[in-house]
Amino acid sequence: MPVALQLTGIRKTFDGFVALDNAAFSAEWGEVHALLGENGAGKSSLMNIAAGLYAPEAGQMFLDDNPVRLAGPSDAARHHIGMVHQHFKLVRPFTAAENILLGNPISREDGSYRSKLRRMETAIRETAAELGFELDPTKRVAQLSVAEQQRVEILKVLLAGAKILILDEPAAVLTDQESERLLSTVAQLARRGSAVILVTHKMADVKTYADRVTVMRGGRTIDTVDPKVTQAAELVRLTVGEAITSPKRESRTPGEVRLGVRELKSSGAGIALNGVNLQVRAGEIYGLAGVGGNGQGELANAIMGLPALLDGSMELEGLGDLKAASTSERREMQIATIPADRYGLALAGGLSVAENFGIGQVHAGRYGSFWKLAKSKMETDAKEAVKAFDVQGVRSIRQKAALLSGGNAQKLVISREFSKAPKLVLAHSPSRGLDVRASAEVHGRLLAARDAGAAVLLISEDLDEVMSLADRIGVMVRGRIVAEFPQPASRQEIGQAMVDHA
Amino acid sequence: MSDALAPEMTGALAEAAPPGAAPAVIDAAPPAIETEAPRRPRRMPLASRRFSVEIRQLMAWQWQALILAIAILAGMAISAAILIAAGIAPKDLLNEFVVQTFFDKQNFEAVLFQAAPMILIGLAASIAFRARFWNLGLEGQMICGAIAATTVSLYEIGPEATRLPLMFAAAFCAGLLWALGPALLKLRLSVNEIISTLMLNYVASNFLLHLVYGAWKDPKDGFPHSAEFRVFERLPELMHGLSSAILLALIVALVAWWFVDISRAGLYLRFVNSNPRMAHAVGVPVRKMTLAAVLLSGALAGVAGFVVVSGQEGRLTQAFYSGYGFSGILIAFLARNNPLAASVVAILIAGLFVTGRSLQVFYQIPFSMVQLIQAIIVICVASSDFFIRHRLRPVAAKGV
Amino acid sequence: MEVVLNWLANSPDFAVPYALAALGLILSERSGVLSLGAEGLMLVGALIGVGAQLAFGAEGISLFLAMLAASAVSLLFAMMVIVLRVNQVIAGLALVFFCQGLTSLLGTLLNWTNQALTGIGAVPFGAMADWPVVGHILFNQNIIVYLTVPIFILATLFLNRSTTGLRLRAVGENPQAADAAGLSVGWYRLGAIVAGAALIGLAGAYMSVYSTKLWVAGMTGGRGWIAVGLVIFARWSPWRALAGALLFGCIEALIPQLAAAGVKLPQYFVLMTPYVVTLGVMVWVAMAKSGHDGEPGALGQPYVREERG
Repeated sequence: MPVALQLTGIRKTFDGFVALDNAAFSAEWGEVHALLGENGAGKSSLMNIAAGLYAPEAGQMFLDDNPVRLAGPSDAARHHIGMVHQHFKLVRPFTAAENILLGNPISREDGSYRSKLRRMETAIRETAAELGFELDPTKRVAQLSVAEQQRVEILKVLLAGAKILILDEPAAVLTDQESERLLSTVAQLARRGSAVILVTHKMADVKTYADRVTVMRGGRTIDTVDPKVTQAAELVRLTVGEAITSPKRESRTPGEVRLGVRELKSSGAGIALNGVNLQVRAGEIYGLAGVGGNGQGELANAIMGLPALLDGSMELEGLGDLKAASTSERREMQIATIPADRYGLALAGGLSVAENFGIGQVHAGRYGSFWKLAKSKMETDAKEAVKAFDVQGVRSIRQKAALLSGGNAQKLVISREFSKAPKLVLAHSPSRGLDVRASAEVHGRLLAARDAGAAVLLISEDLDEVMSLADRIGVMVRGRIVAEFPQPASRQEIGQAMVDHA
Repeated sequence: MSDALAPEMTGALAEAAPPGAAPAVIDAAPPAIETEAPRRPRRMPLASRRFSVEIRQLMAWQWQALILAIAILAGMAISAAILIAAGIAPKDLLNEFVVQTFFDKQNFEAVLFQAAPMILIGLAASIAFRARFWNLGLEGQMICGAIAATTVSLYEIGPEATRLPLMFAAAFCAGLLWALGPALLKLRLSVNEIISTLMLNYVASNFLLHLVYGAWKDPKDGFPHSAEFRVFERLPELMHGLSSAILLALIVALVAWWFVDISRAGLYLRFVNSNPRMAHAVGVPVRKMTLAAVLLSGALAGVAGFVVVSGQEGRLTQAFYSGYGFSGILIAFLARNNPLAASVVAILIAGLFVTGRSLQVFYQIPFSMVQLIQAIIVICVASSDFFIRHRLRPVAAKGV
Repeated sequence: MEVVLNWLANSPDFAVPYALAALGLILSERSGVLSLGAEGLMLVGALIGVGAQLAFGAEGISLFLAMLAASAVSLLFAMMVIVLRVNQVIAGLALVFFCQGLTSLLGTLLNWTNQALTGIGAVPFGAMADWPVVGHILFNQNIIVYLTVPIFILATLFLNRSTTGLRLRAVGENPQAADAAGLSVGWYRLGAIVAGAALIGLAGAYMSVYSTKLWVAGMTGGRGWIAVGLVIFARWSPWRALAGALLFGCIEALIPQLAAAGVKLPQYFVLMTPYVVTLGVMVWVAMAKSGHDGEPGALGQPYVREERG
């Protein structure tokens, strides 16, 4: 088979951080080629270069063995390269057809705007039928489900003429069943001659759908192997580099109910939360699984006390109504929160490490009176916490928090939130974007908090994370908890619960 | 690059993907991709492709200072060029701007005299901006402060001894109240504060005209300004021509510094400024802090109005406030909202004002020149930020 | 009756600057660029309009040069927000103050201040101008009033019924998506800023050349800011902006008519009206809870591609 796309010696840095170093990759026509690696291994950066979105600082790119230099995404499209990004690049107020027309060659042809739009709609219907799914091209993207939005993305690149198709973590936002359907569709495209590149961190998908797999780690491409003959353990070793023992979860007898949520509903428009009932006991980790966008974010915000209109009740044992409490009162109730949006909700990137640490207890008067802030005490405490929680990369306690890497930023958040023994811990996607080592450390902290008697609510889209940590698992679909499973739970049944209620 | 703007299409493109391309894609054998690369990019991104632009998290402060200095020098060079074009001999420029303004005793006294309201207005802007509130209503709040102070004088409220403190308090409250509306509208209804504060400036200035052309017209000469304040209603001179106004301004600057740097409120404000959502999530009283900062900002602007009428003009005049609004924004911007830095910058801007007046008298250059120079410096400094926040990196050489 | 007739006939004259400036703002804001500089660009248009009229005496040339000048000055703004990624609020404010200083300086130095223009008036629209009532109100206006209507139609067609308009809106709603579709976010925004500035400059020139018929420093008196508020009120829709502009025009036109009819009004309170109405309208829109309807998704955000993703 001829080589469709080849990248050699690619280097790319972001503000001194080396994202890619001497990375090499090649995909052939007619194959599904998986690009496997942990979060932050450089998979997306490498493919963004192949799609013309980033310009490499060094390295070469070949298409059909001819050297090319892409001037941008439109140049890539002209070379029949199309990428479906992990975060969809869709204009939400536009219809599916308008979105697809935007970059399509049809838009540059003569003819009236309306006729082009009609032609686009017809082409969308035809191609969708060809691929075996349905899509209404006149519907606004904002009204489409996540799976439908992904179809729009795929149609967009196909109708633009893509023959080298790059899919960046396509399964991340889908249920297992939806992603199965999607992946067999793209495998079918490869059977018919296209080159399909599947960026993923899921071993199972690689095993099932990929013809070849290239493993990336730390910005380098490690090896390219045949997943059919390579052992899964070997793939894991290539991805992770070395074996890291994940913290062992021992089951414990949970205590009394610490957090009780009853019939929690968003009272505004939409069905963000649609009657959530759940109880988290002291000394247990309650894992909430589900595909993103099913109300997890809203539930986390409700517990954190971010503004929202809510009906129903949230009670914290011994302290009463949580719903009416302000964010600072929640802090006094010893609720620790590790939000998913680290730099949006947990850290002020422009402020110092010490300030980001100190803000946690400043209300309680630990760092001086209102009239005078005890800065030196704050800095001493922060220094100790940074050491105790192994936050690395802190050259000075006064440096900006934004300079910390993802894992260390998360550790800083945890050091602040756990600086006073918490009664309730809310952790939302706590290991998102972290490398294996940092994830393991974060997980260790959550387990330690549980063992110390805290009630832990773990909300995560990563089913593996939930399965390995939680004592009980709930499944959230469309703003409700649709099923609950005690451990040991079956992965199959959890996946089925997500589909049945969707 | 102008032709690159037009979204033209090249011939090679036309056949790339006809409408029904997708089925063709699926059925086709591996297509031969034409690659007569590297071809000239059709549309270059604006910051040319030869450099990639990256966000830079941290730049050593020495470099930051150097870039800032270059920006200010560039701004001054452009301003100088305009002044020369307007007819000032190059050799007089340095003399007028530096030597005469800052090294002549009498002129320097004038600078300090001018600096008092400048410092106050700069502090007012800094504090509001720290709460992410674009208080463009500084002039309106100044006007209200001045009107309130004048009311105390005209209606002879209170005994002579407490007259001046009362005027101060009235100005403080009036400025605060004028800022209350936009603050509440922003917090309650998310009404854009830029528009609301600006509109209130126009309302206040028309109300001022209504007073000085109407009921408050000077009974002595009939000119459109209020009757002259009495001696005890004017900010006294301390010594050697140093007005107590500058002392008042420096005390306020220290209080502001305490507020934003020493007190807990200062820490809260830093969080509100850096990331309001996060601040709320960790328990910072964001709304209260915003309200407090905006009200304090309005109050300080009111006091600035009081200082102008009571310390400089000696009466309420119809355009005493002009030029202060933008100066306040400029000072806060250059001082990075730091109260102590704002005081220093305010003195420099006061020097610019004093020079502007002498240019007006001796060279017939309109006073709007001062505003133009201020705007040019803001543009240069704001633009220079790009080089502090970004890193330009050459992209791989040709043939890649 | 006479008062009402004159009032209605004068309203378009007051409405046109608001309408054109708001349209220019919509064009630029739909591409995601918050254009607070309207007040300054209107002043540039007003000054150059008068200057060109004094020099050449041809309205067409004056208006053209005014538009050109406003576009040229907007390049400075475009460079700041597109290339140098300056905060759009700062850049907009700086532009206003820059233009205020520059126009006032030039007006004085070139001696264009308070020089009255002559010989510009209404153009009767054929026989229709003689129609009773309607003729006086609708068909006895100057040329720009007539042109405003087709300008709005064209702008709406462009935004909603053309591929380039679709792309422009995409750039303003989601620049990442537009970039991935191969559109150059920077060039589209540049185009929108410059074209918008031309309209805003025309609005300013209209005021000085047709309405006041002379140049005075700061003559726009906050109308650029009112237009910014008007766009928020109109939820970025050209037709609603036109309706809003007519409302403001009617309010402003009413005042001199009432005074002429002998109604005693406190002069300076009357002058406050447009600003108070703007405030009222902003509050009303906010209370109506239309939320972010119509607001371009990426309004005010600089576009940066190479951030770590």
